[in-house]
Amino acid sequence: MHDNSFLARTLHRRSFFRVAGAGAAASALVLAGCAKEDTITPVPTNQQLVIGKADSVNFTVLNYAYLLEQLEAAFYDKVVTTPPADLLPGELAYLTDLRDHEFIHREYLKFALGSNAYDASFVTQFVFDFSSLTLTTRQGVWTAAQKLEDIGVAAYNGVAKHITTTGYLNMLAKLASVEARHAALAHEVLQAGSWAAPIGATGLDAAKTPIEVVALIQPFVPIEISTAYLPTT
Amino acid sequence: MNILKLLANLAETNPEQLEQSAPRRAALESLGRFSAKALAAALPFGLATLPAQARTTLTILDSLDLALQLERLQEALYSRALAVTGTFFPADPTFRASVVAMQRHQQQHIVLLTDAIVSSGSTASAPANYDFTGTKNGTQPALFADVFTDFDQFLRLAQLLEDAGVRAYKGQVEYLSTNDFILQTALQLHATEARHAARIRVMRKQRGATVKPWPSPTDTSITVAGKTDIAYAGEDALQQYLPDFRPVPFQLLPVGFPGSTVLTQGVPEAFDEPLTLVQATALLALFTY
Repeated sequence: MHDNSFLARTLHRRSFFRVAGAGAAASALVLAGCAKEDTITPVPTNQQLVIGKADSVNFTVLNYAYLLEQLEAAFYDKVVTTPPADLLPGELAYLTDLRDHEFIHREYLKFALGSNAYDASFVTQFVFDFSSLTLTTRQGVWTAAQKLEDIGVAAYNGVAKHITTTGYLNMLAKLASVEARHAALAHEVLQAGSWAAPIGATGLDAAKTPIEVVALIQPFVPIEISTAYLPTT
Repeated sequence: MNILKLLANLAETNPEQLEQSAPRRAALESLGRFSAKALAAALPFGLATLPAQARTTLTILDSLDLALQLERLQEALYSRALAVTGTFFPADPTFRASVVAMQRHQQQHIVLLTDAIVSSGSTASAPANYDFTGTKNGTQPALFADVFTDFDQFLRLAQLLEDAGVRAYKGQVEYLSTNDFILQTALQLHATEARHAARIRVMRKQRGATVKPWPSPTDTSITVAGKTDIAYAGEDALQQYLPDFRPVPFQLLPVGFPGSTVLTQGVPEAFDEPLTLVQATALLALFTY
């Protein structure tokens, strides 16, 4: 395991990351600064990634979107850094655009969240785990992109109603349709005419609750995601 | 008229007093009944209780009506294209199949939106007459003279209307925020429109056009100044703002890569921008008479 990985660090810091909400993590950071890391005794607790805050549904939803954009950004970054050998002409350009868009989305949400970002006080960012995906073939890469983009679309469609201010709602809506365009492309490159796959019998694209989405993305996140503050509908 | 005085007067006005006619009010009160129908089966969650403040909810009906008009326009475009005999569609069968699917979606959206409006006790506006050449029934020069004989011209108009549809839905979401059910449905419609737009764009690219699946500053323009350019007005914004009006300093954030054009291409591509009701209505007017 790489020394910089989140899990390696947390073997030492486990007790400080039981709650990763910004407030709790920030106070943990102060404590961490006071103690010698080596003297911390690992505590065998169930470590969790806590998305959002009890007292702000808006920051909770923005953090949830931020985690999804981080996931997509990390995915495309990995793919563009080590692209499969059998990509067709034009596909690396598409993947590079997708990476750029997701980096921009990630930083946009991170900037909007500021100190309210769930990871604002993390000493080391965790590393997403894509070992369940086949990223050595174009088939594998685009299949994974379809999955992640379709999840992203359904996540935005399902969660936006919980936002309580129109400013944040408009922010998410600007991203949501770009994710749907990404999703359509990821379907098209593998099979022409498959862009509509998730659209149901009433002509509506999919919507999923945060709980449903967390279950789908958990395999890519090396820490159990807590759904404690996420909306249940 | 002193604009400040006007604003002061408006600010003092109780929104409740701005309610419009009694039929409209009755329609609003019954809007809450709109989940029992087809949508309830498709979407397993209940309607949020409608707030008492009628002014916002009146805007929900206005938003639904705009959406209905856009969906009808798109449905008519595809319907007429599919009715063209001869070799209008290219040999690749997925092109025609995609337009068939899009037309089906627009029909479904029309049913859904009409249900929403009618279930609320209001009345859907009458369908307009459409002229997809843009001559308004021969009264002005054409914008798409060969829309049903030149497949590339048809695709350009389809792209224009689908992109504008995405933007129009996006412009309305903030007015739907008092009703969770309608808001989510609108976002799901919005995503379907975005998939349509991306597919149309990919079809154009396959036929040699310089275009990406998302609006990009690198796309070859398909608009006419002073007419159809309203569909993309503001879409290539280089700057984003937070709700507190702070600009997002992308130039200082880790979004760039050596030699990339991320600030001038990536940023405008990464955000679809809204259209206002007035802008969307102006675009609709180009193809209706």
